Amino acid sequence: MPASSHVLVVGHGPAGHRLVERLRHHGHRGPVTVLGAEPRPAYNRVLLTSLLGGTLTAGDLELTGPPDGVRVRTGVTVTGIDRARRLVSTDTGETHSYDRLVLATGARPRIPHLPGVFTGGVLTEGATALRTLADCERFADGPVVVLGGGVLGTEATLALLRDGRDVTLVHPGPHLMDDRLDDVAGSLLAGHLRSRGAQLRLGRAAVEYRPGKLALDDGEILRAATLALCTGAEPETALARRAGLSVRTGVVVDRQLRTSDPRVHAIGDCAEFDADAPGLVTTAWEQAETLARILAGRPAHHRPGRPVVRLKAPGIDLACLGPPDPPGATRHVALSDPARGRHARLALSGEHILGAVLIGLPRATAAVGRLYERGLPVPSDLLGLLLGTTSTVGPARVELPDEAVLCHCNHVTKGDLLRARSAGAHDLADIAAATRATTGCGGCADDVRRVLASATGGNGDP
Amino acid sequence: MTRTPRTLVVVGHGMTGHRLVEHLRTHDRHGTWRVVVLAEEPRPAYNRVALSSYLEGRSAADLTLAGPAFLTDPLVDLRTAAPVTGIDRRERTVTTADGTVIPYDALVLATGSRPFVPPVPGHDLPGCFAYRTFDDLDALRAAARAGRPGVVVGGGLLGLEAANALRLLGMRPHVVELAPRLMPLQLDDGGARVLTRLVGGLGLRVHCGTAVRAVRARADGRVGGVTLTDGSALDAELVVFSAGVRPRDDLAGPAGLAGGERGGFLVDGRCRTEDPHIWAVGECAAVQGRTYGLVAPGYRMAELVADQLLGRPAAPFADPDTSAKLKLLGVDVASFGDAHAETEGALEYVLRDDAAGTYAKVVLGPDGRILLGGVLAGDTSAYRTLRALVGREPTAPLDRLLSGAALGGVPPKAHGPAAA
Repeated sequence: MPASSHVLVVGHGPAGHRLVERLRHHGHRGPVTVLGAEPRPAYNRVLLTSLLGGTLTAGDLELTGPPDGVRVRTGVTVTGIDRARRLVSTDTGETHSYDRLVLATGARPRIPHLPGVFTGGVLTEGATALRTLADCERFADGPVVVLGGGVLGTEATLALLRDGRDVTLVHPGPHLMDDRLDDVAGSLLAGHLRSRGAQLRLGRAAVEYRPGKLALDDGEILRAATLALCTGAEPETALARRAGLSVRTGVVVDRQLRTSDPRVHAIGDCAEFDADAPGLVTTAWEQAETLARILAGRPAHHRPGRPVVRLKAPGIDLACLGPPDPPGATRHVALSDPARGRHARLALSGEHILGAVLIGLPRATAAVGRLYERGLPVPSDLLGLLLGTTSTVGPARVELPDEAVLCHCNHVTKGDLLRARSAGAHDLADIAAATRATTGCGGCADDVRRVLASATGGNGDP
Repeated sequence: MTRTPRTLVVVGHGMTGHRLVEHLRTHDRHGTWRVVVLAEEPRPAYNRVALSSYLEGRSAADLTLAGPAFLTDPLVDLRTAAPVTGIDRRERTVTTADGTVIPYDALVLATGSRPFVPPVPGHDLPGCFAYRTFDDLDALRAAARAGRPGVVVGGGLLGLEAANALRLLGMRPHVVELAPRLMPLQLDDGGARVLTRLVGGLGLRVHCGTAVRAVRARADGRVGGVTLTDGSALDAELVVFSAGVRPRDDLAGPAGLAGGERGGFLVDGRCRTEDPHIWAVGECAAVQGRTYGLVAPGYRMAELVADQLLGRPAAPFADPDTSAKLKLLGVDVASFGDAHAETEGALEYVLRDDAAGTYAKVVLGPDGRILLGGVLAGDTSAYRTLRALVGREPTAPLDRLLSGAALGGVPPKAHGPAAA
């Protein structure tokens, strides 16, 4: 396709934002228009819980402005697509034409069937999802009940506790993050939350909400100035459905990230590839990168990446790599050290990691994460890898190509770091200012340090 | 020196009692002790641990522990079929079943244990057996009917050996274990899963988490089957009870000797009862209240008491090796050291290879370096090495030591989804 076609992007979340940034990078020269429903510039949704914790402000979450020649319209909701005439219409009465349309509509929070949670079709006073900046602004003073002990609910609980709030986490599953963690890791995580002052109600369901209180299935009434609904999300597909595009859980796309209409693409949380809509920002970024290449006329196709979920909270290192029970895994390795709050499980096929859960093992998390993301074989001394006692083997010495992405949150490559280093950035703070690396989830800090150290001839370990 | 030797009376001629006499006689260069050994069984001590091999063709003579040197030793007076019925501590004598009174200067109780038979209805029907002596095995062999099912009550080490014995006798064995897994004392869930699969391959049918509620009789009054607490019923030509043992401490009460909370003659860390002339060793001894059902701790006790009788230096009994390895053809499971990670702050490292059908767990000290114990299943080639390293820091990475055990060989290359 010509690198000068008009690209129209619906949605200005992380996927849409990354796409337009990378379009220019890959040489696309045509007009680009972005229509965002939220009344503000794009921001890093992944870090919303840091806002709740008071470690970041709304301004800190803001993503870089669009590249030259990209027109961004905020506060505009797309209401319809006329695929025959290649036009979209908006709630403000505008119409926009396109050569290529990209749906990056994201996901919307799943609101549980809980009596009292809706009043007149909208969330009852005090109840809120946790997906937008506006949601964060709905948090009232007073006790918070977080409903849902998945990644978001757990992060939100920890963030609110850091902010000195009184928080109760209600989760119907047997342990926290039970879709990803085994019971050992789940109980370690629960212990961590309790040590921070969280009240946990595990294996309990909410049965009714009234402003100020939440009733549980065992009759307990929790005080709740705010009820935070962290009960999952589902792809936002209404627009695609109305336009007659093929939709299952998400908008179905092929390896070229095309929907059933070859002029319409979908990326990010709203897209479903190979029956999978993982809802992970890393997947959204990979798809944005791939589609930017495609729309710039370069050969590329989407390969499902290696999903990594990290719990973003200071004082706890928790990472889930791959699916919880990966098919094809024949070797299983586990390290269990409850006395020190450490636990790891690896699922392997031969020497390759198909999935892993690590908690309390920051060095192993970094090393295992690198091996996993790059598809590299594990060293023979697996116990040393997990305990972090292996210093001479394997991952730390793997030489990365310059184009390897180290900071996935801000798409900073090893080459970017080396250029910043040459331009005078000496430490993490300099690097963060110059490249934004490490300012997202922070999970890349060790990698960045290592690259800096190898560029100066040191050995990277503090 | 012509001093008259003092008399040591040993009650029981099992493996432990025998070891005590052997050790004492080896080191008693001046013949200070004359030993009277009173055996209940009609034969001298034999290797009870290898009893199952009796059904695989080894003779009673093959398994005997008492060689010619022992049997002809002028300072050893072995009396078989002479069970002791009483102790008179004041007179310092013991009395045997035939009324013989034997004085002692020192008395060692090595009466061992008896099989625990749960008191369920029908437990004493013809066709119910224990699995502890040659007589038990002779009776079992006589009662076996090829092709018929037999039920073994107890899925521990001994129960599995008994089930294998039934298999060797051509029967179809069931194993009923109250705990949720086989060999609950030695194995963890992961190791027991591998074991269950392996013994299943031998034709054993395993029923865990349930117990025998009653033994049913046929019309002729012999065993016909069992009813389980989960409501199911199994046909059975015979029932073998190997659901653990109880210390044989019947002599304690009448003699006014204290017993352990869970039975056994209560002894201190040097295996001495409150009576300074009386000692207890082996499965009948409650060392500081705790009994041990394995031969290795029994041997340590026997040597400890013999050394004290000879005035040799002897460290108190401590931290016995409770390692165990199941001896069944094609079924490799073992546990060693602190297999259940009971040490404060211990950490566990587990390797499971579904393609190779192996499981290995090692327990390490809080620093992650000192090897404390472990479980091996499906491949126990690392057992001897690891057992020897308990309490130390392994010199090679554990993965390499275990590579024969859980990674399917060195180098670990031949893996992949296709291998399944």
